[in-house]
Amino acid sequence: MTDKNVNIYQELLHTPEGVRDYYGEENARKQHVSQAVLSRMHLFGYQDLQTPTFEFFDVFSREIGTTPSRDLYKFFDNDGNTLCLRSDFTPSVARCAAKYFMEEKRPIRFCYQGSAFSNTSNLQGKLRESTQMGVELINDPSVYADAEMIALLIECLQQAGLSRFQISIGNVEYFKGACQAFGLDHETEMTLRDYISGKNFFAAEDLLKNLGLNREQRDQFLRITDFMDDKNALEAVREVTGNERSREAISRLIDLYNVIEAYGYGEYVSFDLTLLSKYHYYTGVIFKGYTYGTGEAVATGGRYDNLLLHFGKEAAAIGFMIQIDAVMEAIQRQRIRIPLTARIVEIRYTAQNYQESLKKAIQLRREGIRCVLIPEEDKEGK
Amino acid sequence: MDIFMKEPAEAVSAGSAAAPSQADQKQEDEYLTIALTKGRLASQTMELLGRAGFYCEELGDKRSRKLVFVNEEQKLRFFLSKGPDVPTYVEYGAADIGVTGSDIIMEENRSVYEVLDLDFGKCRMCVAGPETARELLRHHEMIRVASKYPNIAKDYFYNRKHQTIDIIKLNGSVELGPMVELADVIVDIVETGSTLHENGLDVLEEVCPISARMIVNQVSMTMKAGRIRDFISRVRDAVNA
Repeated sequence: MTDKNVNIYQELLHTPEGVRDYYGEENARKQHVSQAVLSRMHLFGYQDLQTPTFEFFDVFSREIGTTPSRDLYKFFDNDGNTLCLRSDFTPSVARCAAKYFMEEKRPIRFCYQGSAFSNTSNLQGKLRESTQMGVELINDPSVYADAEMIALLIECLQQAGLSRFQISIGNVEYFKGACQAFGLDHETEMTLRDYISGKNFFAAEDLLKNLGLNREQRDQFLRITDFMDDKNALEAVREVTGNERSREAISRLIDLYNVIEAYGYGEYVSFDLTLLSKYHYYTGVIFKGYTYGTGEAVATGGRYDNLLLHFGKEAAAIGFMIQIDAVMEAIQRQRIRIPLTARIVEIRYTAQNYQESLKKAIQLRREGIRCVLIPEEDKEGK
Repeated sequence: MDIFMKEPAEAVSAGSAAAPSQADQKQEDEYLTIALTKGRLASQTMELLGRAGFYCEELGDKRSRKLVFVNEEQKLRFFLSKGPDVPTYVEYGAADIGVTGSDIIMEENRSVYEVLDLDFGKCRMCVAGPETARELLRHHEMIRVASKYPNIAKDYFYNRKHQTIDIIKLNGSVELGPMVELADVIVDIVETGSTLHENGLDVLEEVCPISARMIVNQVSMTMKAGRIRDFISRVRDAVNA
């Protein structure tokens, strides 16, 4: 091999920015966590679903309200169709559910895992390909479905090994009720939603000030210091909320809290009425999971009762997605130990005893014990 | 035939080589970490925090060469950094709270909660240039803009004025741009405007007012909800007093 070739090979060694290799122990831990989470999803009766890595661009279009177009990886097929790598599983799952379960009226439960891709240029140290796992519960508009999501998310995070986390819950209807009450037009509502979902409360306040809303009215949108971890606090806010739609949104959260209590998970949840998502398809209850050791939410989810309508099926739906890479980061920072029990038995063989060694290996594998055959090193150290 | 059992450790610590440290975990829960912007903004911030009942004696010690300052009694940790790094520390959760100028927050565009206007460090983000350049801003003509704040400049010209521009990023003494004909106008912060006047430039348009802001990490806002919200409301009362 010439020196020149060595250089070429070395240039090929590192990956492009935003993607990475997983190997060895780190990979084993990630697989372990994924398996633990997945089996909990199965325990709740969710069935595996695999959708394609890329779809027609329209599945992720602006009308759907998912990732902005500029953050999608887009390309063309031979017929000139625009395709894109999925940046979010929910639109794919919604499309799939509409396609195969058009007439189904009973609840449908799906779970999925895989890579999602986001072409954000200024990620600065964040992954462009990330592993996501999630569930979607279609055809169930009830508060029990909402609570099942929250409870399942809590159990999934526990299964992953986390113990100190919080699920922050909001309701998009609260925001919509306030917009309606103050007669904001669609465009203003969208701008305001972007500001509030980005927690840019000053831009939001300026916008509302320019619309002529007084302090009290503005506070309806910007309850940033209200922290509510039980239903008494929610009831107190409902008392002072001016419009019916927003009050109903709070009532839904109170009902939800009652069901979560029945699961015994009251301590894990708190409420935040300013919680909105950058995904516009969310319609009702919306939530994010937070833990120490990672600067962003490890899980996000919510109700999207209108999304399936884009694919021709009228169905209520709710789901959540766990960012496995963020969970792994949190596990590492919190120094949580993950039991790795994968013992591998090594069987050394020579040309003379290969038959015997092979027999032993076959027997061990039949018993479910991991083993490898390794050639005995030559005595002369070849 | 030899059979070897390759025994990985029963449980493998997820951390690097370090043994799990209870102390570290505790620290994460107990302390509020605050990132301050080096310089005048830091002293103004500490003065405000003092009025809100939070203080850090170590920070006042000019001879100290420490990087992180702790108030054990109130469980507060402070560190000083360059302004543009403050939103980065807060976004990644290295600091729970940060204080820096809204110009920097807009320019960096990080996902952090912007929770309080601290009402000091006030100035304006402006488009400035020689009087002759005023005409160039009236039409949708292509112009050259020099700035330390390319994102703010882009947002202003593209989304508010719908004007196409060429942006030149400079790192200081932006006023030079129009003087040596590198650019038609500049986008920069203006406090009194005297530097501009001395160099024959004027404020042509105002982009937005600027002041110091308090930002909070989104995870801390939920995980340390009680302490953070108490901190915010005490500081807010001090600002409004």
